[in-house]
Amino acid sequence: MRSKVLMLAAALTLTAVACKKDDDKTTTVDFTTAKQQVLTDFTNKIAVTGYKDLDDAANNLYTKIDALNTNATDANLTAAKDAWKSMRSVWEQCEGFLFGPVEDNDYDPNMDTWPTDYVQMDSLLNSSNNLELADIQSATLSLRGYHPIEYIIFGDHGNRTAASLTARQKKYMVSLASDLKNTCHALYISWTENPVNYAQVVITAGSGSTKYAKKQEVYLAIVGGMTDICEEVGEGKMKEPYDAQDPAIVESPYSGNSLVDFKNNIIGLQNVYLGKYKEQGLGLKDLVAAKNKSLDNKIQGQMAAAIGSFDNITVPFEQAIISQRVQVQAAMTALGTLKTTLEDELKPFIIQYITD
Amino acid sequence: MKKLSVLLCILVMVIGFNMCRKAEKFADDDYDERLSGGGLATVFDETSKAFTHSMPGLSANDERVHGRGDVAFEQTFVSSPAPVFGGLGPVFNNVSCISCHHNDGKGTPTAGDATSSLLFRISTGGVTAQGGPEAVSGYGGQIQDQALFGKQAEAKINISYTDVAVTYPDGETIHLRKPSYTMQQQYLAIPGSYGLSPRLAPPVFGLGLLENIPEQTLVSFADENDNDHDGISGRPNYVYNPQTKQKEIGRFGLKANTASLFVQVATAYQQDMGITSSLHPQESCYGQSQMDALTDDPELPDSTLKAVVFYVKTLAVPARRNVTDAEVKRGQQLFTQLNCSGCHKPTIQTGVDLTLPSVSNQRIHPYTDLLLHDMGTDLADNYSDYQANGKEWRTMPLWGIGLFEKTNGTPYYLHDGRARSMEEAILWHGGEAEQVKNNYMLLSKTDRQAVIKFLKSL
Repeated sequence: MRSKVLMLAAALTLTAVACKKDDDKTTTVDFTTAKQQVLTDFTNKIAVTGYKDLDDAANNLYTKIDALNTNATDANLTAAKDAWKSMRSVWEQCEGFLFGPVEDNDYDPNMDTWPTDYVQMDSLLNSSNNLELADIQSATLSLRGYHPIEYIIFGDHGNRTAASLTARQKKYMVSLASDLKNTCHALYISWTENPVNYAQVVITAGSGSTKYAKKQEVYLAIVGGMTDICEEVGEGKMKEPYDAQDPAIVESPYSGNSLVDFKNNIIGLQNVYLGKYKEQGLGLKDLVAAKNKSLDNKIQGQMAAAIGSFDNITVPFEQAIISQRVQVQAAMTALGTLKTTLEDELKPFIIQYITD
Repeated sequence: MKKLSVLLCILVMVIGFNMCRKAEKFADDDYDERLSGGGLATVFDETSKAFTHSMPGLSANDERVHGRGDVAFEQTFVSSPAPVFGGLGPVFNNVSCISCHHNDGKGTPTAGDATSSLLFRISTGGVTAQGGPEAVSGYGGQIQDQALFGKQAEAKINISYTDVAVTYPDGETIHLRKPSYTMQQQYLAIPGSYGLSPRLAPPVFGLGLLENIPEQTLVSFADENDNDHDGISGRPNYVYNPQTKQKEIGRFGLKANTASLFVQVATAYQQDMGITSSLHPQESCYGQSQMDALTDDPELPDSTLKAVVFYVKTLAVPARRNVTDAEVKRGQQLFTQLNCSGCHKPTIQTGVDLTLPSVSNQRIHPYTDLLLHDMGTDLADNYSDYQANGKEWRTMPLWGIGLFEKTNGTPYYLHDGRARSMEEAILWHGGEAEQVKNNYMLLSKTDRQAVIKFLKSL
């Protein structure tokens, strides 16, 4: 009888030990400290650094466009195209966290409205409008931002030559680039300086933030941003043209940059999760891994699969929706899977573990 | 053994009688107060995207149509002819639904810019054959303050504010801002007199639930002659529905001047964006000097229009937060005691709609009666809209109002966004709400804050 009791006790102990969570063994920082550090690192190492890079990229694009205006050589045109593409890559990665000033102050539509308004653009170019910066700033959104610049420097089918640029087009593109530069600078400043100083708003979440009474709220905003971009790419930017089999409704069609755009969107999302952009910080992954390693593995695996799926599409997206439908469908499926995990598992994780 | 069978018999009888018990309504306390949109149309999200979710109870196919509507709602339109999304203008107020209804919520009270959400109706003050506001020649019923390149905006509206100080009996002073609106840069002179009415884009979630409240429920809230002597009357608006070609009860629009979501959406496309549809196949500037020569009307495919109607119909209501907080509870009690709930009805049961379970027979908390109330001279636009006179406005639903700070960046309240805080919005209340407001002002500061805290939990 006694041995039975002992065995039972032993079994119970074993069970209890087995049940013990190994919360803090996988990270060097305790969970409470990490919760704050992830927000600080997200702000400083991803958001602010990303917007600083965007600001720099916009300056670079302006410089290259200005040089093209002064000296319309094909070399300068190529340099302008490269600058446009590299700025796009920074911006698309910043779309991994579309909350805060970028949505509150409509910076996104100010620079990234699509489609192009050909009729109005032609009327504008054929008019006597001065095409100065102030004229562009008061123009409708579809006549501002990335895509009109793209249309001018890449041409309708990417066939622009420097010699074919008209004086009016050059004037327009310089003012467009200048407008874009201002927008990106204002966006950067809104994170770093008063009156908005959104970096502070995020970092002080749950401890005096003017916007986020609890840390949980800003975490949910971050996860919401990740989910939204997954949805926007998989169920919007890709699915619309795919369903319609219509190359005309593909975004960034002149530069053929659509797939790169999509991939960078998801890399932006991955940066947020991993806490890594140019340098490694603490990320959501550290919090998730500390409590639920298998969820962390799942998310990381699905992000990698989604990003990798774009590489199977070997022709420009406008063509792929006709000729590589299987690969496009596979990419959309991978995005859908990731979105479901973020929505149904990562979000509940935040609600469960970050309650303050 | 005998005992056992007796016991069994008794047991069977007890169970049997219990089964005979009629189903009763739960007591109020038994419902989950957080479910503002009922059991199938409430979402738990308190981020900036709180208003943008579909109702959780949708079928897969309904979800698909909702998604199509979502894309169209966000889509920027361009001028025709265009390969995609053409039809904008010639004159318009904005380029997409989302430009005004920021994050499916309210917007910013500026006019004529890309990020503006305030528009102005215009009328001679006369009445049409259908009973609606008479249009102004050359302008129609709305000022389109933007135009395609090469066309001229009908006018620009200058908005200026003057400071109005309000002092509580306890000595605290609050500064309100009173707007004044003047038309400038008119493309055409207006010979006679005219009136303007400012309308700030309202949130677009939960509308399927509001559309499904039985008319008799709304009518039962009315008390046009204030027979109960609580100072609050309230009456329904009856408006012309161009789809059914009948007079119907008005539910949408800031003066309850629109009967259905279909008409609301189609009219917004035509008036706000210059995009024609099967319901409104003529441009907003039809018959005016800026009319285009295109023969592309209707510009919006019916399937798109219907998808967008379905989208706003099936946007879920965000759940309440902090419902068990003691201060919130206190504020809720005061809200009722002050009789704010005289117009902002906390609980309504929707009607039955077999085709859409999410909105069917749901117990919802919209905090509106959808009726017209005299709000006093300070809020008056002196603009009649069907039955609504120049001092009357429709009770604004308060669900989700606590999230405006998130969804809108900077929040604005009331029909023209003049109020920058909920406290300012309360203090603007006059007319039928005068007494309620005065009683609110008599509260201690702690109690006033409790009321605000309650509102923020909505």
